[in-house]
Amino acid sequence: MEFRDYYKVLGVERAAGADQIKAAYRRLARKYHPDVSKEPNAEARFKEMQEAYEVLKDPEKRAAYDQLGANWKAGEQFRPPPDWGSGFEFSGGAGRAGGARRGAGRARWSGAAAQDGGSAEQDFSDFFSSLFGGSSPFAGSAGGAARDHHARVGVDLEEAYRGTTRTLELRRPEVKPDGSVELRTHTVRVTIPPGVTEGQLIRLAGQGAPGAGGARAGDLYLEVHVQPHRLFALEGRDVTLTFPVAPWEAALGASVTVPTLGGPVEMHIPAGAQSGQKLRLRGRGLPGNSPGDQYVQLKVVLPPANSPQAKALYEEMRSKLNFDPRANLRGDTWEG
Amino acid sequence: MGGVIQGFEAHLLSEGDWIGATEICQLCWLDLGAVMELAELGVVAPREALPGEWQIPATALPRLRVIGRLMRDLGVNVSGAALALELLEAQRELERRIRTLERLASDH
Repeated sequence: MEFRDYYKVLGVERAAGADQIKAAYRRLARKYHPDVSKEPNAEARFKEMQEAYEVLKDPEKRAAYDQLGANWKAGEQFRPPPDWGSGFEFSGGAGRAGGARRGAGRARWSGAAAQDGGSAEQDFSDFFSSLFGGSSPFAGSAGGAARDHHARVGVDLEEAYRGTTRTLELRRPEVKPDGSVELRTHTVRVTIPPGVTEGQLIRLAGQGAPGAGGARAGDLYLEVHVQPHRLFALEGRDVTLTFPVAPWEAALGASVTVPTLGGPVEMHIPAGAQSGQKLRLRGRGLPGNSPGDQYVQLKVVLPPANSPQAKALYEEMRSKLNFDPRANLRGDTWEG
Repeated sequence: MGGVIQGFEAHLLSEGDWIGATEICQLCWLDLGAVMELAELGVVAPREALPGEWQIPATALPRLRVIGRLMRDLGVNVSGAALALELLEAQRELERRIRTLERLASDH
């Protein structure tokens, strides 16, 4: 695994005080928070800085981390030294699982990683796990209460429309006969029903972390992220398609074939339609109790005047149509 | 790695689902006071299913989870997070409109 320079991640000196570390984290969190940020890789950067802050804000974790020395460089191959963690109250790093642990990590999304092109976020890094035991699925389960897990899963718009499946790797702690705990990975296939929308949650009962002392397991929640589509813009359950039409189709009306998520449909463009006008295909958005609609926004595209015939037609229109597109601009201050 | 598990219960939280306030708190990293404050601010419209038993529509979950993350990760308070959410939504709506207009204005 690769060494992580947590000071570098937060952009602070090794001698930085707790206030400086907190300020640096807040500043960076504001910039890279996935709900707010437009920065590329904001999600990955934010996770990195959360992990760094998890260590540097905690005096014990920070002291243990500092014990590794200042000579490590980010990205260097790393293994925890044999005496790692001795003298500190946290334990539970690799090979040390089962020890008393406090100040456990609170990963935003934990316990699941998606395959099949999904984008579920994962736990803190292996580097963190090797030192501090990861964001243990036992974290926060004091008193035997189970802990829910959260993951994010990306689907494209077609998948959101017709439903899909995702294969997820779940990491769960299992108590070994000697009382120690190890993280085991198992795989589940999740059926995502048709009609999921942005931010919607799917609950998988009992697929979270097990409760201590035989308490029921927590649930796994998958938050759906619908990826942007090349043609359709999604808003709630409605989709909008920008649809090019020829001037004569808009002027005279026409029957056209329009792509929808459920396949092409015939649509009538009324005579006298204008560029920007929206037509509605009821119920052609995402399915649901109240299915969404598809809006078809017309875009009148002019044929190029790149041949003598085309130029002649435009000339004829100019001479015969008596058309002034700027008629409503005439008035007080401008005479075009 | 273990084998593929199939057939476990998967439920899409959607229109028509109501979720207890306590569960909402767990799902959205909020405390009950924050949820009540959000109700006062009009961000969510809870119902009292039984005396003292408040429920929130599942359709409010995406917004509440953003608010919960903003509060937890950025240290803002309830009204600040609610305001940020509204501004983020307004920003996204404007961006959506800009994209639509750009498509209308583009050559293809």
